[in-house]
Amino acid sequence: MIGRHPMENRWSRRQFLGRAAGGAVALPSLSAILAACSKPGDDTGGSGTGSAATEIPIATLENPVELPVTMDPIAADTPIESGPLVLYNWADYIHKKVVAEFEEEYGVDVEITTYNNMEEGIQKVANGQVTPDVFVPTVGYLRRLVERDLVMPLQHELIPNMLANVWPSYSDPGPYYDLGWNYTVPYTIYTWGIAYRRDRVSDEDAAAQGWDALWNPEYAGEISLYDSYGDTIAVTIMRNGSLDVNTSDPALIDAAKVAILETINENEARLTINGVYAKLPAGDFTVAEAWSGDIVGAQWYLPKGTGTDVLGYWRPEPGQTMIGNDSLVVPAAAERPRLAHEFINFMLDEKHGTDNFVNWNGYQPPFTSIEPGALIDQGVVPENLSDAVVTEAMFVDDLTPVELTPEVEAIWLDAWTEIKAGA
Amino acid sequence: MPEIAAPAAEAGGSRRRLRRRRESVAQPGRDGGVWYPRWYWPSFVAPGSVWLALLFLLPFYVVFSVAFGTVDFGNFGQPVPYYAPWWWSFETFNETLSKFYEGTAIYRPPLFRTFVYVFSATAICLVIGYTVAYYAARAATKYKGLILIMLVSPLWISYLMRIYAWQGLLEVDGPINFLMQPLGLGDTNWLAGMHVTVILGLVYGYIPFMILPIYASLDRIQESLLEAGRDLGANGRQTFWRVTLPLSRPAILAGIVIVTLPMFGDYYTNDLLGTTKTSMFGNLISEQRTQTGGSTRMASLVLILGVIVLVPMLYYLRETKRAAEQA
Repeated sequence: MIGRHPMENRWSRRQFLGRAAGGAVALPSLSAILAACSKPGDDTGGSGTGSAATEIPIATLENPVELPVTMDPIAADTPIESGPLVLYNWADYIHKKVVAEFEEEYGVDVEITTYNNMEEGIQKVANGQVTPDVFVPTVGYLRRLVERDLVMPLQHELIPNMLANVWPSYSDPGPYYDLGWNYTVPYTIYTWGIAYRRDRVSDEDAAAQGWDALWNPEYAGEISLYDSYGDTIAVTIMRNGSLDVNTSDPALIDAAKVAILETINENEARLTINGVYAKLPAGDFTVAEAWSGDIVGAQWYLPKGTGTDVLGYWRPEPGQTMIGNDSLVVPAAAERPRLAHEFINFMLDEKHGTDNFVNWNGYQPPFTSIEPGALIDQGVVPENLSDAVVTEAMFVDDLTPVELTPEVEAIWLDAWTEIKAGA
Repeated sequence: MPEIAAPAAEAGGSRRRLRRRRESVAQPGRDGGVWYPRWYWPSFVAPGSVWLALLFLLPFYVVFSVAFGTVDFGNFGQPVPYYAPWWWSFETFNETLSKFYEGTAIYRPPLFRTFVYVFSATAICLVIGYTVAYYAARAATKYKGLILIMLVSPLWISYLMRIYAWQGLLEVDGPINFLMQPLGLGDTNWLAGMHVTVILGLVYGYIPFMILPIYASLDRIQESLLEAGRDLGANGRQTFWRVTLPLSRPAILAGIVIVTLPMFGDYYTNDLLGTTKTSMFGNLISEQRTQTGGSTRMASLVLILGVIVLVPMLYYLRETKRAAEQA
């Protein structure tokens, strides 16, 4: 779902340039112009590819969904294509060294194409502007990708590492959004919490305040919220005492909006893109709404001479916060599907996946081998960030942000537009 | 004016040459007349017209079609433009427009801010820009080239990079606050949504575009005109007000238009130096870009902004026309 993804908020300068330069409205294709005489949109899609074959329900933890398989996966003995493998991913969301190792092992090139927000990524895959072999969608888009036949089912025989290394619940019964993992393997998993500076806020104090720290006038001017409606409104709903993080209740959304405006106007809270992983270690912020992966990544942004013990992460009791994850899929239009399977299996390899996590990304893959205790013993994750390590139990107990219907999403977006307008 | 006379003579020269060549193909029936094919002169307009049609009119029409079209939520909220005007639906457009005046009017504060910021920034640009241009054109005889290079050289670095540099300079414990300490402003949080930061950011970003046309105009004012002013008894100040300033008026207007129009649509200055408290019109548009199904609202806002910037544009056109008539 748009606006709920960690990487969305990691704008590098280059990305920003791209976005600034990127056209506002894509020019229509010639065929679209020729089709202009009939009223578009009378049929469901306008482009006619929809055919509304299967209406798939929205997946939630309570109502998990098995995505229908409408085409065959590739045969297990498909020869491995020569490169290049096209990976369509968030910018800076994979360790280049791991990619280089894949290139070397398979003797192929990997072309990494990036998107700045999920909206852009999905649209380019949907209208064929980009034809990747591997794509990294947020799970909230999965249902619609399958409905429109834009992703292909996975050939499980080619991905043995899924059963070998990933939390068993991801394959049996499979995650709530894709029972039986017909289409996806997990890439990273992260929780929502509060990042804070331990040199300014004690652990006990942070735990006692909880979400309210983001509304504490004591930290005026040093509070960061994510510039992303799905995250910040949902977190504020939890702060306001509800666990209905996918609410359709206008009153809850309105109360969240009022609260967000309150901390912006009275405590100079800032909506940021890099508040947690860059500005908090630099000392600009004291408390921040945070994804666990961002605070783990923050240790590499600390100024020289500052120890990792200044970073703290608080997450509520199990079941009181949200957990999210990203997946790897093979688009239906992939030109090198077998190589794509190899890549997915490669990323689920214990060594490569862990390398990607601890040496670059900060975002954790759901591997059975990754244990909070071991990570801390090895010094990969500082002890004070132990809450940032995600465990399989959390995936069962925590809340999940799911896809909102367009009507509900419109209420969220209206509230967010008002916040962004500085009204 | 001699400057204009010179290129005219040149053009005349080439025309003569052409004529000589053409005479050999001239129709025998037309005695002494010069024959050009009917398409000959209009063809000179063609590149401009094609450019205008392909890169302005057509995209602009698409913006209309998107604004008055719909979105397909079954297809990831992609826009479904209505190209045929008879299908146009004004629902989203009217809804967007109503957010400027109805109920809580959430779009009004950014609109108001945009006007205040743009007018303040333009005024500051004009005062500083004119002074610098005047100095470069009149006083800095020896260093004219150097000053020009210094004016243009920041443009070699991306605007974005320079604004990022400002972020560092404006931090609470940054150099600006260090310099402000004697004034008792040493702990100002410049980046926490202060109007003055965004206005100065706009001034910084656009001032070269104010200086350059004014400089070009001042530099071309002939010394003899100023001397004539002095000969007729005007002192230095009077010469400035009655000779230099009127002569540079078209350049001032051009400079104002060049900086004002993009400032109205600017969003990245505020993205990088401000907060939501200093949101401008451009930020409203860029925010819709990241929203599922936001394209119709975005196109509607673009059209509304288009109407707003049409006002200074029309004023400029009227003024330049009047100036041309006077000349």
